[in-house]
Amino acid sequence: MSTCAHTWSMTDVRSGYLVIEGCYHCGARTSFFSLEPVVPIDEYREGEHFWEHLGGYQAVTFNLRCDTCGELVDLHDMTGLMLSTCTDPRCDVGRLALELGKRVSIYVALCADSSHTSGSCVSDAGVLALSEYFNQRLRSGRRKIVVVPCKMCDRIDRCQGIVIADTGLTEFY
Amino acid sequence: MKISEVVDKTGLEALNGWEDEDLTGVYISDMVSDIITGANGCGLLLTLQTHKSLIAAANLVDVGAVVFAHDKRPAADVIDLADKAGIALFTTPDHTWKYAVKLFELGMR
Repeated sequence: MSTCAHTWSMTDVRSGYLVIEGCYHCGARTSFFSLEPVVPIDEYREGEHFWEHLGGYQAVTFNLRCDTCGELVDLHDMTGLMLSTCTDPRCDVGRLALELGKRVSIYVALCADSSHTSGSCVSDAGVLALSEYFNQRLRSGRRKIVVVPCKMCDRIDRCQGIVIADTGLTEFY
Repeated sequence: MKISEVVDKTGLEALNGWEDEDLTGVYISDMVSDIITGANGCGLLLTLQTHKSLIAAANLVDVGAVVFAHDKRPAADVIDLADKAGIALFTTPDHTWKYAVKLFELGMR
């Protein structure tokens, strides 16, 4: 384990589209980041899933690098961030929000497989680095940021929150 | 520069309650994906966007105050979200460039 008190900076910032697809067979949701010049809207079959386009939003991806020790945290498994407004005590995120109070903002790091059928989510190292990075940028002392993985949500497709995405900017295509 | 000084000298209209604090700089953007990668803590964000995602991004990077150009006004639920986050919201009748010039002439960078 590193003994470095990391000072994180964004690196590898890439602009593209967050594309969201749904399977009309089983209702699963998936998303991916596309660097294509326009939003891909293909329908295709992948194993048991029949994916169709649900939406595409301008977005960025990035990694985090420590300015002190050079450690790189790869965040390719994160497709976006969502400010949670959940206060449902049946949900771990909602329960955490109730415990931490109003001065703490909980952001959910969204992975590509929102139904978590693959069992994977945003890495623990990624979630920790994101929390450290955004808290290191805070200057006002008004608030604290906590980042959690989307697997912590009871049902991410029903979870209450505000996704940070440039909605409405792709309808001209 | 204090928020109150910017309000007084540039004729901003407050859209919610706010506490006076130092502003560290200015960032101009209409894309939330750009704001989370570029805006600095306690800065003034000048934008045309009035949706909730803007507040979610501004909160994440600790924006001190948001100024909506061209007399844009967010909906009540967006103002409520900003209140919870402690983000001051203002509007100006100026378009973005005209208001940016005012900030520059005030000495903000």
